[in-house]
Amino acid sequence: MAVTGSAIRSESGRRERRFALLLFAPALIALAVSTTVPLVYLAWTSLMRIDLSMPFLSGFAGVDNYVKMGGDPRFWNSLWLTLAYTASTVVLQVALGLSLALLVLRIPRGQAALRIAAILPIVLAPVVVGLFWRTLVLSPDVGLVDVVTRSLGLGSHNWLGDPQLALISVIAIHTWQWTPFAFLVLLASLSSLPPDVFEAARIDRASAWQRFRHITLPLIRPAIVIVVIMRTMVALSAFAAIFAATGGGPGTATEILNLYAYRTSFSELNLGYGAALAMVLLAITLAVSFVMFRVRTKR
Amino acid sequence: MSASNLVSARRLRTALLVAVAALLLAVWAFPVIWALLTSFKTERDVLAYPPTVIFEPTLSNYRDVMFGSASLLPNLLSSTIVAGVSTLLTLLFAVPAAYALARLDLPGKRASGFYVLATQMLPPVGLIIPYYLMLQKIGGLDTYGGLIVIYLTFSLPFAIWLMVSYFEDIPREMEEAALLDRAGRLRALWYVILPQVRGGIAVTTIFVFLNAWNEFLFAVVLGGNRVRPVTVAMFNFISVEQTLWAKLAAGAMLAMAPVILLGLLAQRHIVKGLTVGAVKGGGRT
Amino acid sequence: MSAGGAPGDVGRVSLRGIVKRHGTVTALHGVDLDIEPGEFFALLGPSGSGKTTTLRILAGLEPLSSGRVLLDGSDVTDREPGERDVAMVFQSYALYPHMTVYDNIAFPLRMVATPGVDADRAVREAAALVHIDHLLARRPGQLSGGQQQRCALARAIVRKPRLFLLDEPLSNLDAKLRLETRVELRKLQRALGVTTVYVTHDQEEAMTIADRVAVFMEGRVAQVGRPQDIFAKPASAVVAGFIGSPPMNLLPAEVRAGALRVVGADLRLNRPLGADGLVTLGVRPAALRIAPTGIPARVYLIEDLGDTTIVDLDVGGQIVKLRTDQRPDVREGDNVHVAFAECHLFERDSGARRGE
Repeated sequence: MAVTGSAIRSESGRRERRFALLLFAPALIALAVSTTVPLVYLAWTSLMRIDLSMPFLSGFAGVDNYVKMGGDPRFWNSLWLTLAYTASTVVLQVALGLSLALLVLRIPRGQAALRIAAILPIVLAPVVVGLFWRTLVLSPDVGLVDVVTRSLGLGSHNWLGDPQLALISVIAIHTWQWTPFAFLVLLASLSSLPPDVFEAARIDRASAWQRFRHITLPLIRPAIVIVVIMRTMVALSAFAAIFAATGGGPGTATEILNLYAYRTSFSELNLGYGAALAMVLLAITLAVSFVMFRVRTKR
Repeated sequence: MSASNLVSARRLRTALLVAVAALLLAVWAFPVIWALLTSFKTERDVLAYPPTVIFEPTLSNYRDVMFGSASLLPNLLSSTIVAGVSTLLTLLFAVPAAYALARLDLPGKRASGFYVLATQMLPPVGLIIPYYLMLQKIGGLDTYGGLIVIYLTFSLPFAIWLMVSYFEDIPREMEEAALLDRAGRLRALWYVILPQVRGGIAVTTIFVFLNAWNEFLFAVVLGGNRVRPVTVAMFNFISVEQTLWAKLAAGAMLAMAPVILLGLLAQRHIVKGLTVGAVKGGGRT
Repeated sequence: MSAGGAPGDVGRVSLRGIVKRHGTVTALHGVDLDIEPGEFFALLGPSGSGKTTTLRILAGLEPLSSGRVLLDGSDVTDREPGERDVAMVFQSYALYPHMTVYDNIAFPLRMVATPGVDADRAVREAAALVHIDHLLARRPGQLSGGQQQRCALARAIVRKPRLFLLDEPLSNLDAKLRLETRVELRKLQRALGVTTVYVTHDQEEAMTIADRVAVFMEGRVAQVGRPQDIFAKPASAVVAGFIGSPPMNLLPAEVRAGALRVVGADLRLNRPLGADGLVTLGVRPAALRIAPTGIPARVYLIEDLGDTTIVDLDVGGQIVKLRTDQRPDVREGDNVHVAFAECHLFERDSGARRGE
């Protein structure tokens, strides 16, 4: 008389599954409560008109907030700024980080010092970095950058107060803080490449550029993709540094979408519209991450 | 090309490389060093142009920042409590959860894994609005409990994913050997598996603490006068009228001292953690 | 811990109709085995043949799709690995890297709350039995491969289980150490008297140390028996081609009109040939010799191993190996004939042995 497989899976399998659930449940509950519930609440709020400055106007508003958004130039401005900010910081981080990593590979002795230097920006609080730059680095006349430009004869500029320069400055701040991340990850990836592949290429008379293009790049592609994905997510939700440096200004010159949502909700006290803006940001983030993960798993 | 030309060309190249590397070192390290120097200057020295490198150092800024009317000490305490407790709680929840995901037959494993990943994608600004409203209703604003629990939102998914990759590195036979030795699943985890991921737990702790200490948005919106981490208190030194430069520098140095120290002491761990986290996907920093 | 270990009739193993499916792939097609108490029983076969899967099912580490596992008459199919009183040595040893050798060995005793004094004694006895009692304070990472293997053994012995399971325990050791350890393992098992099930892909290993061997091929047990019986009478062409160093030569042949037709030569043999039909001829390398008449062949390569010589011969496009103690007077490229003293015949289609 044979006992079937399902009977065998019974006791020890059940025990294992129960144990697994027991271990996972607290985290799951915590996550569900702290993300799903607020998300539902956020969606609901976005359908309301909650104006803390004019409470008598509050009530259900349906999709009014979203309709209003479509015709809101400040919204489109923030969307454009978000795109510009995210794209440029990510591209810069990867390009600079990669170049640096390639450079540092040739200097085995400098690597330790550079590693320490690379860690410093990463461990600092973004808000502190924003404040640093706002005061010590980018202040007109006395800031580091101005000191340099003045001594080079390029004059003094209002790096954060000039609408034209503010976006560039803010991009520079973010890039400064996070390029070391790309640098460290890509350096680790480059260091892990097997040397014999390159030796074989050398014997096959491939030039340095050819070796880079046909061997190095494809081999570190996974690392680059990961860096791009992670940095994009962070850039989309970057807040503290910009808030500290410009607060979204001057005017709306650096008001990326999440800053717009924040200001709308907590400075202008229009929580319903702020929630709608946040929902749009959420949708964009999810869409972008979906696309990126598709790209990643395609290979 | 003669031999000597070749040698000098190579030497030139190395010199160039070193020069560029030094420049980069400067770009990254210098601002922090500059801030450190500034913190020892008087306000007047700070505004001097050309900027003085040799000056009369003073501890007055640090004195004011620590013991003055706008002392940062209560803020440091706030930060320590919030970051410390939330890190502890995160580990308590995340380590078992990661083990279940990585090594056990968790029902709905794929969906759960995906869910954990998805929660990392949520932009914080999207969450603070409902958090604010919800906490306001239950009187949880400006409380330690409220802030600590909210901090779990971003720490948990990250910690789970980091620990999953560390658990996956251990050979499966470890549990099997322990089971055959009559340990049972819980004791196998405690006596055999956990000791082997000690390094991973250390790295995870560092990153979670770092993130929590440096958090700003949640702290500024959901905190208040009682619970005010250092990141928020930084703005004490900036107002519409003036910027207290040297004090700001001193305050920032004080506020960032713990994380800088952690960074320097644990650099290898941090670098390892960055690359592990990068390879296995997900991460907030 | 006395030599003689488990009493005479403990450790009887019965596997009944074990089937294991993995999605659409069937790893085991119905395995039946009976192992006597105190036996050193080898599961032999190439990779993927199902021998390790069978061992793990015995241990309780893998679920099975159908069938029963019986230990000393009781059905343990549903029981957890820790409840079967079975000890296992893994191929990778699976030593706990963060514990000392002492703690590794003591672990199974700690888990059942053995009193400290008794545990200490048992640990030291087990360590002494495998000659690592001087290494008790070290960590696995500080041990050599051979020492790690002994540590894994000690951890298995210390519990005095009724069954030992060994999963290719020697495969990570270098050749010389493997030969030495093989002998020690056998002596240890004889001293302890515990039923041992031993998985290996090395047929020489299985043939030299096991009491009985089960040859696994593609998820089925192809033959069970004592090593000398399997060697003398392999049950199928596949088994025959696996056993022996070098393994038995297999040539396509045909029985026609009372003669065996092989590579264009008709041979009359001193043994019954059975019915006419296609067969496979099996001849051991040691049974072949160069002769004036027989099967035509050309010398392809001569491997001089010192005390034996292996001659690779090209027989009708196939390489056949001959083994002899005396170096034959031939050179590479020579055309010769080979004859044999005894042979085996198998049906061509089923591979089954043709009796005699």
